[in-house]
Amino acid sequence: MTTMTIAKAINEGLRATLNNNPRALLMGEDIGALGGVYRVTDGLIADFGADRVVDTPLAESGIIGTAIGLSLRGYQPVCEIQFDGFVFPGFNQITTQLAKMHSRSNGNLTVPVVIRIPYGGGIGSIEHHSESPEALFAHTAGLRIITPSNPHDAYWMIQQAVDCQDPVIVFEPKRRYWLKGEVDTETPGASADPFKAHVLREGTDATVVVYGPLVPVALAAAEAAAEDGHSVEVIDLRSISPIDFDTVTASVQKTGRLIVAHEAPTFGGIGGEIAARISERAFHSLEAPVIRVGGFHMPYPVAKVEEDYLPDIDRILEALDRALAY
Amino acid sequence: MTLNKFNLPDVGEGLTEAEIVAWKVKAGDTVAINDVLCEIETAKSLVELPSPFAGTVTELLVPEGVTVEVGTPIISVSDAVAAQTPAAPAPATRAPAVAAPMYGTLPADPADAGEQAGRPAGGPLVGSGPKADAVKRRRRISASPAPSAAGREATAAAAAAAAPVAERVGVEAHDIWINPDTVGRPADEAAGPAGDLRPTLGGAISGLVGKVLAKPPVRKIARDLGINLADVVPTGARGEVTREDLVSYQAQRDAEVDKADSFWGKSGRPQDQRIERIPVKGVRKATAKAMVESAFAAPHVSIFVDVDASRTMEFVKRLKASRDFEGIKVSPLLILAKAVIWAAARNPSVNATWVDNPDGSDSAEIHVKHFMNLGIAAATPRGLMVPNIKNAQDLSLKQLALALNELATTARAGKTQPAQMQGGTLTVTNIGALGIDTGTPIINPGEVAIVAFGTIKQKPWVLDGEVIPRWITTLGGSFDHRVVDGDLSARFMADVAAILEEPALLLD
Amino acid sequence: MGATHLPSTEFDGTDMDDRLEAEAEAQLGAPAEPMVQLLGPDGTLGSDPVFSKYAEKLDPETLRGFYADMAKIRRFDVEATALQRQGQLALWVPLTGQEAAQIGSGRASQPQDYIFPTYREHGVALTRNVDLAELLRQFRGVSNGGWNPKDTNFHLYTLVLAAQTPHAVGYAMGIQRDQKLAAANAVASGEPGQAEEPKAAVMVYFGDGASSEGDVHESMVFASSYRAPVVFFCQNNHWAISVPSSVQTRIPLANRAKGYGFPGIRVDGNDVIAVHAVTEWALEQAREGNGPVLIEAFTYRVGAHTTADDPTKYRGSDEESLWRAKDPLDRLEKYLRAEGLADDAFFEQVRADGNELAAYVRKTTHDLETPDIRTAFANTYVEAHPLVAEELAWFEEYSAGFADEEADQTDRAAN
Repeated sequence: MTTMTIAKAINEGLRATLNNNPRALLMGEDIGALGGVYRVTDGLIADFGADRVVDTPLAESGIIGTAIGLSLRGYQPVCEIQFDGFVFPGFNQITTQLAKMHSRSNGNLTVPVVIRIPYGGGIGSIEHHSESPEALFAHTAGLRIITPSNPHDAYWMIQQAVDCQDPVIVFEPKRRYWLKGEVDTETPGASADPFKAHVLREGTDATVVVYGPLVPVALAAAEAAAEDGHSVEVIDLRSISPIDFDTVTASVQKTGRLIVAHEAPTFGGIGGEIAARISERAFHSLEAPVIRVGGFHMPYPVAKVEEDYLPDIDRILEALDRALAY
Repeated sequence: MTLNKFNLPDVGEGLTEAEIVAWKVKAGDTVAINDVLCEIETAKSLVELPSPFAGTVTELLVPEGVTVEVGTPIISVSDAVAAQTPAAPAPATRAPAVAAPMYGTLPADPADAGEQAGRPAGGPLVGSGPKADAVKRRRRISASPAPSAAGREATAAAAAAAAPVAERVGVEAHDIWINPDTVGRPADEAAGPAGDLRPTLGGAISGLVGKVLAKPPVRKIARDLGINLADVVPTGARGEVTREDLVSYQAQRDAEVDKADSFWGKSGRPQDQRIERIPVKGVRKATAKAMVESAFAAPHVSIFVDVDASRTMEFVKRLKASRDFEGIKVSPLLILAKAVIWAAARNPSVNATWVDNPDGSDSAEIHVKHFMNLGIAAATPRGLMVPNIKNAQDLSLKQLALALNELATTARAGKTQPAQMQGGTLTVTNIGALGIDTGTPIINPGEVAIVAFGTIKQKPWVLDGEVIPRWITTLGGSFDHRVVDGDLSARFMADVAAILEEPALLLD
Repeated sequence: MGATHLPSTEFDGTDMDDRLEAEAEAQLGAPAEPMVQLLGPDGTLGSDPVFSKYAEKLDPETLRGFYADMAKIRRFDVEATALQRQGQLALWVPLTGQEAAQIGSGRASQPQDYIFPTYREHGVALTRNVDLAELLRQFRGVSNGGWNPKDTNFHLYTLVLAAQTPHAVGYAMGIQRDQKLAAANAVASGEPGQAEEPKAAVMVYFGDGASSEGDVHESMVFASSYRAPVVFFCQNNHWAISVPSSVQTRIPLANRAKGYGFPGIRVDGNDVIAVHAVTEWALEQAREGNGPVLIEAFTYRVGAHTTADDPTKYRGSDEESLWRAKDPLDRLEKYLRAEGLADDAFFEQVRADGNELAAYVRKTTHDLETPDIRTAFANTYVEAHPLVAEELAWFEEYSAGFADEEADQTDRAAN
């Protein structure tokens, strides 16, 4: 067991990948000499060389496209998109090519590409550096999407993403890059399956489902709720596509109330999918409608007002109050 | 001779119709594959249509200048050639001179060379325009599947119960009632983050057992009426309380409340005006007669035993969650019924009848029944009835559950048939459903034993020297002392209790 | 048939008036910039200081083979078009006029090379031994990719324009890594220079229209930066549906390569011998580690963009006539006959083979299997996926719940 930050855990996970898998390579802008704008790939080029830690031209579509080509040749590229807001030039390659190549080829071709994207806000940054575009990709069949909330998950999930034969997008919560936690680098333990949700805190009065950057916020909210005498169960979804509906359903059948929170805007967000599906699966168990907490329907606002935009402990507790009032 | 029809194709990605501008052939003409048949005009352009058939044109089906929909037959061509043509010009279909074909293998059928190979198969034409939306519904033989409904609810619950949540649960399913030291199992088991690890044991228990299922509108109605859903008997397919259940509950309450207010006759009024006279007839008359017969003919002895039914409660919970019992109402009564059958087999005299003067003789006989028609006392709109489940001993657990469901639904609807009430061999009266702990029931005439199944409540119980809450019920049984002595009745009751305490004995 | 200079990567300082060049080009089919040509429209074989030596390697059988291939693919094209008009294919993408560009370049590739086509390269498919019937699957609506690229190293058609260009560069980057690994292993095993696998290169096709897409630019940046072994083969067929190439570029497309730092060369796309020579040279460059090459095959889309298109709406028949005079098959036939390399019997045989192919195509089209949506469930992901499994289970139950499934299916099929 070692203590490390999420950034370091990903770094170690990438290192393990490069060590264990000769066909794996990293590619992205500034990942080599600089070690990545968040230092997530720090030190790797020194140990693995420029052929395996590739500083690419500044061209997201080119990065994803060449990664696809490399994977067709039998390699397992791990692309980094520098910031969430800059993934869009590569959106075409991701949705029309990467997601569909296996299906288009009737199963003959596989494109095991991993795309790492730092996402989310709360870092006081400028435009396009605080986005949460996961719903846009979740809506595209053929992709898998996971998002670690803690260092142990980060260490293992990046490796599991590389091992997966399907294309995987790993959304890394950038404002949690410096969050420290215990990592067992020997065995994944409960994190053996990246596509399963984890119940982080048991409760009986309501279930809060979160992922990525909001996980610590939800846990804090549950703690505060406990002081008010409410027992809140917190689930870290971990995988956005596929979603582990079984774990959420079982929880809602126990608690009867569901709140889903994400930084991404509520309208058209993942919370809607969860709400609809849980309504179907656990209708008779619901004491209240599913309540979603998310960003407002507006472009991500300027740093000075981002606090009013992002779901925080008060927003989650407000949703809890509403749910309990039914 | 085959007549081939060529249907107007969609030549432009979604066109719906076209006009036949000019025919290039007429009836009687010989055509080869790909000879131009006509020119059509679509919304996009003017297009020539090549013939898919070789043969003789028999009829032009659409005149020039007429617009038809994609899919309409426009020409028919018979595969008989009217006049033998000499070597046709390009695009002629000459027989291949080369013995070894260069691409793929054509079928050995010589007739297939060239002419017939072009005939479209009976399959659908591709690109025949945007398909018209169906306006009639396809007939169904079974209801559309509900995407993950009760089964999934149940399965998910089972899955959650079976798999320890995040390996940190201090409340593994089967351990939920015992071992306080499992509560707050040390966090070193968890490989997770610095999250809060305190499970709430009490909440978990009530959460798993006491959940009332109801649709949101029903919950609202219940709330508005001030009804506690837990008090209402649920009859929904998935075990939920329905609107109708609320209505009948409410009607009952109303009736009671209305009457309660005005029940007491005012003092000062004449006595005879304060006495309500109800004639005895129908079910009331029959019931009274039976009660008298039974009470005075059979010397009743009642015995009681307290049982720790926790394992039965647990078993019932598992059954509810099991896919096998999806949609079937399961309650502790099911286990009790099984217990009674099991115990009766070991103590046969309880499943018998005292017969006076059989065949006109002066003596009496005890008829021990080697079958169990298990009666369940039911309160129906018409009064107390005791329908029985025939040959209950042959039923599997699931079949018995179904039979109990059926019996209860029929009785509640007031539709129990006389035949169902005849031939019973042993009866259970489920007074627990009425909130009563135990009682001294009166034996159903013609039988020699009756079991009273009262409430199952959490009570302090001593286990391994410690006082902990367990689910306790007091079983009551009344027996006809002419047939069943004290020791037999005791053994019988003890056997029933043993099953309630450990349902796994049923596997014996 | 003009003189050429070996393309260089540096600006050579010659004055080029781009505007005049473009205007000259706008005159039908007369490229201002010299292009490599060996076999002229009149069927005479000229010479070129650089590329004649490649042409001289072609023996008569190979040349006859070029003709046979071009005739074959033209016949295939005609038949597929007819099938579309008969409602048997939803769409067809004709390559009429571009036969030489495709056969010439395809024949220059080697089996270990990997080819990324767009969606019109049926001729290249032929040279890679793809069963032509498999091309039809896509247009019949039974598949989005009717063949297995691993069998022939001919990738599936990519319908999003230019999306395949970065794939090609990535693939080439993979080849580079494989070669380095092989070399390292050879050194390690102490047997360098032992018979190695023939070096592979990548060839990627795209049109003049697609050349405007950002992906082409990005691929060329990557290819140049990493000196990837990839040949960019642009078929400038002068039309992107209804938009002429003058809207896509103001200079010969081959000139763009200079901007990226690698050679660009324009070749007469209707001259199969020159195309073959130039492509052979370009693939050599790539194979030997000299980096990418851009080839612009100057040709013409004689037919429509697809069978859903009507060229009469945007171009005149004069232009088409002019280009028909430069037909790739005619000029080769003239040459073969003049040189005594092919006679009537040969051309008759070719025609007969064409008809046999046509019959095969017709039959295969009709017999193409109708897919089952269940395969779509199975092929969305490689690894087991809970949502896919759930939806498939639902679909099975839902489908089974209809009365008289057989009759219903036939009814609907007949609609």
